[in-house]
Amino acid sequence: MDVAARGIGKATTRSGERLLGAAALASLAVSAVLSLVVAPPDAVQGEVQRLMYIHVPAAWLAYLAFAVVFIASIAYLRTSRIRWDRLAAASAEIGVLFTALAIALGSLWGKPVWGTWWTWDPRLTTTAMLLLIYLGYLAVRRITDNPTRRARWAAVIGIVGFIDVPIVHLSVVWWRSLHQGSTVFRLGGPEIHGAMLVALLAGVAAFTVVYAYLMTLRLRVGRLEERAVREALSPTVAQVAEEDA
Amino acid sequence: MRTSSERRSTGTATAAVDLVGVTRLFGAVPALVRADLRIERGETVVLRGPNGAGKTTLLRVVATALSPTYGRGSVLGFDLVREREEIRRRCELLSHRTRLYDDLTASENLVFWSRLIGLDASGIDAALDRVGLLEVAGERVRGYSQGMRQRLAVARTILRRPELLLLDEPYTGLDAEARHAVDDLIRAAHGDGRTVLVATHHAVADGLADRSLHVDGGRIVREAP
Amino acid sequence: MTFVRQATAIAGKDLRIEVRGKHALGTLLPFAATLLIAFGFAFGPGRDVLDRTAPGLLWMAVLFAGVMAARRAYQAEAEDGALEGLLLAPVDKAAVFVGKVAAIALELIALVSAVLLLVVVLFDLSLGSPLALAGAFALGSLGLAAVGGLFGVVAEAARTREAIFPMLVLPLATPVLIAGVRATDLATTGRAGEALSWLGLLVAFDVVFVSVGILVFGSLMED
Repeated sequence: MDVAARGIGKATTRSGERLLGAAALASLAVSAVLSLVVAPPDAVQGEVQRLMYIHVPAAWLAYLAFAVVFIASIAYLRTSRIRWDRLAAASAEIGVLFTALAIALGSLWGKPVWGTWWTWDPRLTTTAMLLLIYLGYLAVRRITDNPTRRARWAAVIGIVGFIDVPIVHLSVVWWRSLHQGSTVFRLGGPEIHGAMLVALLAGVAAFTVVYAYLMTLRLRVGRLEERAVREALSPTVAQVAEEDA
Repeated sequence: MRTSSERRSTGTATAAVDLVGVTRLFGAVPALVRADLRIERGETVVLRGPNGAGKTTLLRVVATALSPTYGRGSVLGFDLVREREEIRRRCELLSHRTRLYDDLTASENLVFWSRLIGLDASGIDAALDRVGLLEVAGERVRGYSQGMRQRLAVARTILRRPELLLLDEPYTGLDAEARHAVDDLIRAAHGDGRTVLVATHHAVADGLADRSLHVDGGRIVREAP
Repeated sequence: MTFVRQATAIAGKDLRIEVRGKHALGTLLPFAATLLIAFGFAFGPGRDVLDRTAPGLLWMAVLFAGVMAARRAYQAEAEDGALEGLLLAPVDKAAVFVGKVAAIALELIALVSAVLLLVVVLFDLSLGSPLALAGAFALGSLGLAAVGGLFGVVAEAARTREAIFPMLVLPLATPVLIAGVRATDLATTGRAGEALSWLGLLVAFDVVFVSVGILVFGSLMED
């Protein structure tokens, strides 16, 4: 727990932030080259299949971000240190973006391939549910301005939501398997190998670095928000808050 | 830091209430600012002060209905933040919100509470009689007046016999009969050597109070013997 | 055991209030009936579509009724600050959760039974294997009650944002909807054996949510 906290502390210094920003840019560039130029077009789907190189990493990040929310939520309930709540909130906000991106791209990719914007593909459907649960998490944070209560409630949603996602996924997979008649479209294709696999992995790595960078930004904004709230208090109270922080 | 069991064995030596630098915010609004409060066991203390001074918030923090935003404290030797359930076992807060269920009768309300907390249900009729509600005990609380509700809440407290009795404006809006019931409750607690903390504008039970504290701007500002 | 005594006291109190005030059943049953009749108008009059969608419609009605029942269970506590009374009482908060969930689940089961009768009449649904059917509805009601019972506390404090409660409950309760409809469909068409895996899913869902609820409910009540 403490090691993680210290690591995050190091990363969120100004120099850490700039380093991550540079790394994010660089890895995105590498990934772009690999996926747009080096990897060959798909034999069946053609150039449109290249959307996979953004869609899959985005989906991976959506779930990673939510896993961070889950772990940070547990950490908060165990320790009551507000820094874990700050981490969870930041990850949730960034996670929402990646989730929406993954769904949008999945749909965009699906239109030319399946001929329709939406086919209730199990993984895409589960990701859509993930988005709804994320939005619920963010909505709960807006109910109360009591920071401890907000953190506790959000932590509960973060934990419950994360545990529910696999159950949702299982039920959707079983539900879809009823329709044996229709062709099962695997978004990743039956096998990926060679240059395509490398490009995909590069994309996943790049997006992970981007996530880390966005997190450092969002955490800094979070700290500024808290400082602004403290300064809005009367001087006496602000002093009490400072002494306690 | 003494352990819980050590504290309990030196029970009578510890204060009933000991708040140190308690601050409570609602959003950005401070209701309590660095409030210190020390009440010894067996005392009956009155809190006075203008509306909005923080009396209600103070009582609610002691009762553990609210946790302090900053600061620390102990009630009956138990930590304000970490041992809340222990405090709740020994403390009762009477306020204008009587926490009764409208659709149940008076008896049913008390039976529910005794089953929930593990009280002796055989004392229910006696308690209802003490507050003059025995005849109407079979009616649903929905039809009760505020005075009758408060008397029922007093009956519930009689059953509980809490070590620490907290009352928030217990006389406001009550008829004479209800006010007598509240006074009786305070007198009984005082007589037993239990601790009482009352926030009120009124005079308390024949001047039973050992001392009164004046609350303003979210903290205790002065004391009167 | 204290825990059981406390949970039973809470459940008993909730059910007694419900029977006296007829809050949930008084509004939910007409609501479910109206919903089903409306479905009848929307998808009828031909039997074909209605027959195929009957399980789904049934569960939609149960889902919405479940959300409302859970919401209602906490509104009774709002009168006169009873919820805070439960917080300040020396009672195991997990027992409060279990008691409330039990009461909501029983109310839902009663509601479902009535609605099922209605569906059998309106849409000529055959009951198939009643055991599997009963299992689906009992387990589904428990699952909905667990989710609703957990977040009802949050909704009670967020009264100005009423819509948040269904928004929280419905996505999380999706497995109940899917599993419930599938199991009902299989049960009413005489394929109860296949329904077993769906019932298993419902059991898993219930176990997870009741366990998590027992662990975290107390922290939701604190201020």
